[in-house]
Amino acid sequence: MTAAHATTRRLGLGIGWRPETDVLAARPELGFVEAVAESVDPRRPPAGLLAARERGMAVIPHGISLSLGGAERPDGRRLAHLAAVAEGLGSPLVSEHIAFVRAGGQEAGHLLPVPRTREALEIMTENVAIAQRALPVPLALEHVATLVEWPGAEYDEATFVSELLDRTGALLLLDLSNLYANAHNHGYDAREALTRFPLERIAYVHVGGGYYRDGVYHDTHGDPVVPGVLELVEELFALTDAPGLLLERDDNFPTGQELANELDAMAEAARRGRERRGGTDGG
Amino acid sequence: MAADGRGYGERQTQLLCALVAGRDFPEGFEPDKAEDASRSLRRKRGRAVARAWPALALALGSRFDERFDAFARGAAAPALGDALADGLAFARTLDRSDLSDDARVELLFARARLAHRAGVPRWRRSPFLGAIALHDPRRLLVVVRIPPGGTRSLVLRAGRV
Repeated sequence: MTAAHATTRRLGLGIGWRPETDVLAARPELGFVEAVAESVDPRRPPAGLLAARERGMAVIPHGISLSLGGAERPDGRRLAHLAAVAEGLGSPLVSEHIAFVRAGGQEAGHLLPVPRTREALEIMTENVAIAQRALPVPLALEHVATLVEWPGAEYDEATFVSELLDRTGALLLLDLSNLYANAHNHGYDAREALTRFPLERIAYVHVGGGYYRDGVYHDTHGDPVVPGVLELVEELFALTDAPGLLLERDDNFPTGQELANELDAMAEAARRGRERRGGTDGG
Repeated sequence: MAADGRGYGERQTQLLCALVAGRDFPEGFEPDKAEDASRSLRRKRGRAVARAWPALALALGSRFDERFDAFARGAAAPALGDALADGLAFARTLDRSDLSDDARVELLFARARLAHRAGVPRWRRSPFLGAIALHDPRRLLVVVRIPPGGTRSLVLRAGRV
């Protein structure tokens, strides 16, 4: 499969759309928003999302329930819903996760990690192919943060993600907070791992906050972005021009000014990275 | 189904049940990290319940985290109803003395929408009528819901008929 980078739409700076961040979505420098697909009724999208579209912003549906890493085939109804949301909002792409959320008839209520094995790769490749056939736009996949790791890993995370995207042709939703969290909690070098992710397949990038507790980093998306993650933003833009950079905040909303400051810090880190690369790309 | 699909699914079920239903972790998972992960998930549930039940969270105050964690260890999140149902199951484990008037009002409105039968939450399909006595000033809050309609409430003050 050829790399998607050259044809991936430039999205710019974005924010995860929630009712609480709606006021921020009107900032003129924002180019896109992402909305949890399961929360959107395709027949009656929230006014805030329609307003974003009116302003010329891209809206990306972000699915959390397909369980593409699970043993079961993705559910046709869930896929139809995701497709309908993408069509209703004129989205250039949709995103989902390299994770499972249900097993044995039980819901986890959380994105759980997939074993990094050949077996998992084969199963996920099939599930992703089924999803892609049902979707009207390209699919980007996000790797997740996890405090537990399956024993018997045959690949590290960067290699597993590269293999999966290579086999499926899916795009990458690079989550720098998840990379930071996993590197910290499982003892490897985030910057080194970053260089081995399939950066040419990036559709857009997530940045979210978290905190340390007893030496463990918790990726909560309910706290400010830590400096280590902003450093990874700079590193990334020193390596390549990512088409989109999105701030995720799900919880514990601070004032609009604080969120605006977070966006500014991210944009500044990206700018420093571009400068190091000597890039003159816009956005 | 590619490869050993059944074994793959079974192992995922084991991990899921360990993380959210307090079962033992399968072989090979680091115990410290496993406990961290389980506790992190319970806290995430707790944050969602606190958002959906703000009066309850306020009533319990600093005891909310500990009380919810103890509850969550023994009860997986419900399949239906998300944080509303999770909070209802949690509220049912509390003493009346734990709840402020605001929290009891919150609970009554939730019960108008959600029933709890044999430990399983269900959206109410039959009419609901409930009432609680509130203080300062003394009054009776009556809540009625006739599905699929919304919830209506009526406040009766002491001294008025």
